Amino acid sequence: MRRLAAIVLTAAFVALTAMPVAAYLKLGTRAGTRTVTLKWGQMPIRYFVTDRGTTGVTSTQLRDAVGRAFHTWEGAPTAITSSEFVGFTLANPSSGDRATVIGFQNRPDLDRTLGATSFIVDTTTGEIVESDIFFNSAFAWSVAPEGAANLFDLESIALHEIGHLHGLAHSAMGETELRAGGRRVIAAEAVMFPIAFATGNIAGRTLKTDDIAGIGDIYPAPTFSRETGSISGKVTKSGKGILGAHVVAFDMQSKTLVGGFSLTEDGSFVIAGLDPGPHIIRVEPLDDGDIESFFDLTLNVDINFRPQFYDRIVVVPRGGGTSGVELKVVPK
Amino acid sequence: MRGQAAGLSPTVRRLAIILLALCATPSLARAQGYIGRDIPHRGSVEASGGVTYSAGYDLGTISAEETRNTGGTTGGATGPFVLFTATSRAKGSPGVQGRLGVFLSRAASIEGGVQLARPILSTELSDDFESAPDVTATETLTRLLVNGSLVMHLTGLSFAGGKGVPFVLGGGGYIRELHEKNEVVETGHEFHAGAGLHVWYGQGKHRVGLRTDVGVSWRRGGADADDVQRTVPTAGLSLAYLF
Repeated sequence: MRRLAAIVLTAAFVALTAMPVAAYLKLGTRAGTRTVTLKWGQMPIRYFVTDRGTTGVTSTQLRDAVGRAFHTWEGAPTAITSSEFVGFTLANPSSGDRATVIGFQNRPDLDRTLGATSFIVDTTTGEIVESDIFFNSAFAWSVAPEGAANLFDLESIALHEIGHLHGLAHSAMGETELRAGGRRVIAAEAVMFPIAFATGNIAGRTLKTDDIAGIGDIYPAPTFSRETGSISGKVTKSGKGILGAHVVAFDMQSKTLVGGFSLTEDGSFVIAGLDPGPHIIRVEPLDDGDIESFFDLTLNVDINFRPQFYDRIVVVPRGGGTSGVELKVVPK
Repeated sequence: MRGQAAGLSPTVRRLAIILLALCATPSLARAQGYIGRDIPHRGSVEASGGVTYSAGYDLGTISAEETRNTGGTTGGATGPFVLFTATSRAKGSPGVQGRLGVFLSRAASIEGGVQLARPILSTELSDDFESAPDVTATETLTRLLVNGSLVMHLTGLSFAGGKGVPFVLGGGGYIRELHEKNEVVETGHEFHAGAGLHVWYGQGKHRVGLRTDVGVSWRRGGADADDVQRTVPTAGLSLAYLF
């Protein structure tokens, strides 16, 4: 018998919201003493769209924007995913009906949340049974091909939320700054970065290398493990491992960034899905936003250290891994 | 009258010998001025092996960039956001080389060569947005260069009784660079031109000599992240054997 649990993930925030930062993480859930990755057990992912638009966006335009976003994820060369639009529904995008529903909901109470994804999962296997996405119609939306001033781009936010729907967590591949009332994103290099770009911006319609590596890690194409490689090692401070450090690999040939985290108390990290070749490694604390956007707050995430480069160029082999990278950081 | 020559008088025979000697002397003198009478000749082979040095060269600057948040009320900055910059250089490195050449004539030869070196790729990481300390990251490459050249031996400029012979050369080659652990290979090509000097020792048909050369190699590809031609000064010193 399946043990099902509902998980609600608030995923995209308005600019100036207190935000998280992280490279690709997979969503997981506890299964006894172990953690299992959330993922769909079979493809295509069958979804409904609410037959209800919002100001400036009809339900048909919503369906089309969501369809384009699914299609963008399906175009990731590292992964095999597929989706199927089943039809319009009058149901709300809320958990519990065993149907994956995507649509608008008016949530003025969530004044910094553009959209969110929720799940019902089999907690013994991590298989996703249902996932719903709502876009907050308390905000003003656009589906204009070139974007529209003062309106959030629906396709960009849909791409982010559908990344969650596939099982991806937030990426820290971005930079923020504190301002009165919250945190503003300066730049990002991942659709899965938790803070949305400003209104009128449509850059979020395109997957970045970090996103593509992440989706490949969950739904790998046959070539994924053959054609890409990984870097693994530890992040230590004063000889002890630290948890939650954001480790970034910069591909010196493609000039792209892919990130990962040290995910255990001993500071171990793995960054997979990297193109073969030389990489520069940089480590930084998770200090661009709220830690809870990335990790369970019961975990002892260490952000008291300075950003740092590794003093060796790390070469990623095709179909293999380079291990033993020790990043020794110093307190701030 | 086929028997008439045999019937030349001693005077005429002596004159003929002198004329032949006079005719022969200039060519013999030229032959003695360039290595030896018998070598090199068409088909002579020169084998050489020794050390080489490639000077360091810049590999350019690249940036780790993110997509800037533009639009709305996010300010006026435009263009990519730079997280940090990386300025790379292949350091100068010694290596070993071997060549095998075949003379097409006494003044021209073609040769093929192999060079093996282990240059250090050095990358200076700086301008970090979050003030990470500048660091120079390194790795050691294994560079294999296979090339071919046309060599023109400047016989008219030979010296020391023909033992010292300058030459000029030019050609092209294939570069194969392996990153550390030899698991990632990158290839490129080069063209080169240079000049050098052979100094041969001994008197026999087989000669041993020293060969030194300097030149310039124009390289593209290999571990270079940019598709840009790099100019690399080179030098070499070899022990040569001519036969």
